Amino acid sequence: MSLADRISATIEELKLWLRGLYHGMITHPAYEKIEKEAEDLEDAFMLACFPDAFGIPSPVSYYTAELLPYLADEFEAWQRRLWDRDSLVERKGQQYHF
Amino acid sequence: MTTFNFFGGKGGVGKTTVSAAYGLKCVRNGLETLVVSTDPAHSTSDVFDQEFDDRPRPVAGYEGLHAMELDPEEEVDAHLSELRTQLGQQLSPAMVNEISMQLEMAHQTPGAYEAALFDRFVEVMQNAEEYDRVVFDTSPTGGTLRLLALPEYLEQWIEHLLHKRKKSIEYYERAAIGDQQARKMLDGDPIIARLQERKETFEFAGETLRNDSRFTIVLNPDDLSIRESERALAEFSEADLPVAGLVVNKLTPEPDPDETGRGGTFLRDRVETEKRRLEEIRTSLDPPVVAEIETRVREVKGSLLEEVADEIALETKPSA
Repeated sequence: MSLADRISATIEELKLWLRGLYHGMITHPAYEKIEKEAEDLEDAFMLACFPDAFGIPSPVSYYTAELLPYLADEFEAWQRRLWDRDSLVERKGQQYHF
Repeated sequence: MTTFNFFGGKGGVGKTTVSAAYGLKCVRNGLETLVVSTDPAHSTSDVFDQEFDDRPRPVAGYEGLHAMELDPEEEVDAHLSELRTQLGQQLSPAMVNEISMQLEMAHQTPGAYEAALFDRFVEVMQNAEEYDRVVFDTSPTGGTLRLLALPEYLEQWIEHLLHKRKKSIEYYERAAIGDQQARKMLDGDPIIARLQERKETFEFAGETLRNDSRFTIVLNPDDLSIRESERALAEFSEADLPVAGLVVNKLTPEPDPDETGRGGTFLRDRVETEKRRLEEIRTSLDPPVVAEIETRVREVKGSLLEEVADEIALETKPSA
């Protein structure tokens, strides 16, 4: 194996590592963060739709009940999440994977 | 152009009678008229001695007059079972139980009756082309009137939900990199479609109520009734809804001057008190008094209804 080959092989290896690091440290956490934010927003939406599930009366619950057929899967998961939510720091800091 | 007339007021003041009489008056002036009652006691059936249901039916004996009766409880049940079927179609039976609880709860909230009635009102308003005039005899709960005053508020609520939903989906779409499929897409989201539909209904209702509707408050010449009407009027003006007039019902007939017995004295005193109340109504309440209807000896039906119809001075021409 010539020196040139070894150099290019090392560069390839390095590129792979860099890409991996870039993905792992920059892009993925960023997208994860956005997705988390989307989930949080969705939870807020669910809470605004069905506050009576937690004992808060809502003027529109008669109308939001119409959304239940479409939200069935989410509804249950959401309820479980809200009953047992981590602390805010825990939730917001999850992307650091300590 | 269809015009909508709403009669409201405290329970027992005679809304059904006044609505029916007014409907009759409209028919006499050559207008195709529909009387919509929301009283679960079905008193419109009693007034016309005929059974009605939740579809418009012609009233026997009065050409051009139609009537229907809405039962809020039935409407709520229908809404509930419709959603249940929808759920059953889209979900596994195991899931349904969890959701059912929420569904049931939503239909037992204090506002459910009003919401169901409101829905049907809007439905009637949307399908009223064949009538020149629709007369709503609203149920005695103050809630119905309040809900009528509230489409704007509900619209804002729905708008708020819509915004939240859109925002979260926007983030999902952003989080999907490359050829990765977003977990949720804005296009074809059934939730957004449904909320949008609702919002449009409220917009339609708000517009119709503000532009093509007139409200009349029925009251009796007593203190409680006057106070209640005062509050209702305040709510109406806050919601920017036009109140066309006041109908004072159940006035005591004046006895002949030569009657001096106990009955005659009682009646005279009573008439005296009511005159003062009437004066108070005229001075302290803004809308004009469009009718003063005396108490009848028996239930207002048939020819008595026609008599009462004559006593209502409320314009039936749409331009007024």
